[in-house]
Amino acid sequence: MAQVLRRRGRIQVKLDTREREALLSILDTMGPQVQADTRASARAYDEPAMQAEYDRWVRPDIERSRDADVSAVRDSLSGGENTLPLTEAQALSWLRAFNHVRLAAGRTLGIETDGWEERIDKAKRRRPEYGILLALGYLQEELLAALNS
Amino acid sequence: MSRDFGWNVIVWNDPITLMTYVVLVFRRLFGYDHETATKLMLQVHHEGSAVVATQPREQAEVSVARLHAFGLQATLARP
Repeated sequence: MAQVLRRRGRIQVKLDTREREALLSILDTMGPQVQADTRASARAYDEPAMQAEYDRWVRPDIERSRDADVSAVRDSLSGGENTLPLTEAQALSWLRAFNHVRLAAGRTLGIETDGWEERIDKAKRRRPEYGILLALGYLQEELLAALNS
Repeated sequence: MSRDFGWNVIVWNDPITLMTYVVLVFRRLFGYDHETATKLMLQVHHEGSAVVATQPREQAEVSVARLHAFGLQATLARP
């Protein structure tokens, strides 16, 4: 099972081949939903004119940042190694990328309120997005523990 | 003369983002200690939103954009 360790100040992610392939597949299949989700959720202002300016001048930077984070994860996973050393900046990229994917998965499942972990129905538990929520949530917790240690 | 009294940076609750992640974001972006970041995160979680900073408009917009880059729901508004 995937593990995140911190040794001598360095963060190491341990993932076997099957886990790396699964993560790459998640990034590929969720890509369009992640892009749509960022468009919908990057709301900064109530006033339409101010939001239009934000969409024009700021949102492209947010989207570039998101794409760079996803690329950073993809590059690390594509190296063929079971132990992936990450700098703090890379670990933050992983956290951000996973959060974008989890948000898109949650939106796809129609999750809108807290407490969904207990209430979500059996049909949704069988959907791949539910597994993505749990798996990436686990990896985020591991990365956060390593960053805070 | 125009005066900028500061805009509130508001973070909104969402049911997906991990609470521990929100604490890390508040610490990294605003330099809060663990206790302050946790208190703000819990306010977001229990009350639906929290003002996490009050800054001049340009700086507040940068903060909101950085929060969006972390995937948090954030807006800015005049106090």
